[in-house]
Amino acid sequence: MDFSQIIPALPDLMDGMWLTLKLMVMAVVGGVVLGTVLALLRLSSNPVLSGLAKAYVNIFRSVPLLLVIIWFYLAVPMLLNWITGEFVAVGAFTSCLVAFMMFEAAYYCEIVRAGIQSIAKGQVNAAYALGMTYGQAMRLVVLPQAFRKMMPLLLQQSIILFQDTSLVYAVGLMDFLSSARSRGDILGLPHEFLLFAGLIYFVVSFAASRGVKHLQKRLAV
Amino acid sequence: MSSMISINNVNKWYGDFQVLTDCSTSVSKGEVVVVCGPSGSGKSTLIKCVNALEPFQKGDIIVDGISVGDPKTNLPKLRSRVGMVFQHFELFPHLTIVENLAIAQTKVLGRSKEEAEAKGIKLLERVGLKAHAHKHPGQLSGGQQQRVAIARALAMDPICMLFDEPTSALDPEMINEVLDVMTELAKEGMTMMCVTHEMGFARRVADRVIFMDRGHIVEDCSKDDFFGTPRSERAQQFLSKILQH
Repeated sequence: MDFSQIIPALPDLMDGMWLTLKLMVMAVVGGVVLGTVLALLRLSSNPVLSGLAKAYVNIFRSVPLLLVIIWFYLAVPMLLNWITGEFVAVGAFTSCLVAFMMFEAAYYCEIVRAGIQSIAKGQVNAAYALGMTYGQAMRLVVLPQAFRKMMPLLLQQSIILFQDTSLVYAVGLMDFLSSARSRGDILGLPHEFLLFAGLIYFVVSFAASRGVKHLQKRLAV
Repeated sequence: MSSMISINNVNKWYGDFQVLTDCSTSVSKGEVVVVCGPSGSGKSTLIKCVNALEPFQKGDIIVDGISVGDPKTNLPKLRSRVGMVFQHFELFPHLTIVENLAIAQTKVLGRSKEEAEAKGIKLLERVGLKAHAHKHPGQLSGGQQQRVAIARALAMDPICMLFDEPTSALDPEMINEVLDVMTELAKEGMTMMCVTHEMGFARRVADRVIFMDRGHIVEDCSKDDFFGTPRSERAQQFLSKILQH
């Protein structure tokens, strides 16, 4: 085992980690926003809207993430081509980002829905009684409280997403794991580089997880 | 006196179960009306119908000339003019006390933040809680929270106030501080409709008492008539049970 070769490769690996983190953060933000919209639709009294949101969640929770990533890589350019009539280069990063956002939104939707439902009906009534519209009641009263309650769960889901970003190797994107693997192969040290990559994933995820536990305790007070 | 709230033959069902049957009454401007009755009699449901927090299927309610049941009515606008106080206070726990008082003033009435907070502080002073302006609701006692809730409703300059069992969730020693605020409000001429079991308050402050049982308005008379000789046997039973203690 020769771990000394990892040090000169660090700049390359950092590039990979940068892509991983960028993908994760953008996917979390997009996923939470889309998930919140889906949650509001799911809780809507309109059966068509809630049915559509429910179908969306069920579909994305029933297919493998890897499949969604590959499917978006192949389908998004084709779809854009079909809509705009001209060829648009989408790129692996964008298609992966869209895939993660849409896939994770299904999971965030369920977390946000539970969070909204945990806020007592009386709070909504109080907001209405003060003359707020549905949108104002949600935005100013319900969602701020719900997000506070949900924060540990949302972060936990985001840690899972951090690990799942490694699946982008399937469409040739150079994330942290891919860059570690390719470096290791080039130098003939695949085991060392994969062990190192595993260690980094563990440290980041475990530290984040401990951070969430700590936050959970603080929010509970 | 002109009628502020007029309730005309209101009927409401939860599925097959009828919670309100042909309820009719009215509250004049400046009048204080207490609604009482055994639990499950529909009194809370009726008062929530007045600002459309509960829908009703038949009849109509007119508040200051505007029909609550009309689908064309701008309900948020109507509700912003009707103050409501709830059994469980329902202050917003993520906001400070003064933010609780200011939020609807700025977002609903379009007042500036400074104006809204100044008005909030003034009302807090009035209910004796100015020192708590920058605390969160969870740091206040139940009685204090309910006084804040009353101030929050008053901050909207309401044309009338609805109280839905404002003291039922309070420890006994805190009930009076809330009733004192309500009494003062009544003396200033606020139009009030109060669902409450506080018969002492009704005796002191109410102009009229409505007694409800199983979704019907059984008794609707002046305070003196109600506490003198209620006409219905059901109201007599209720009073004898409640006044013994």
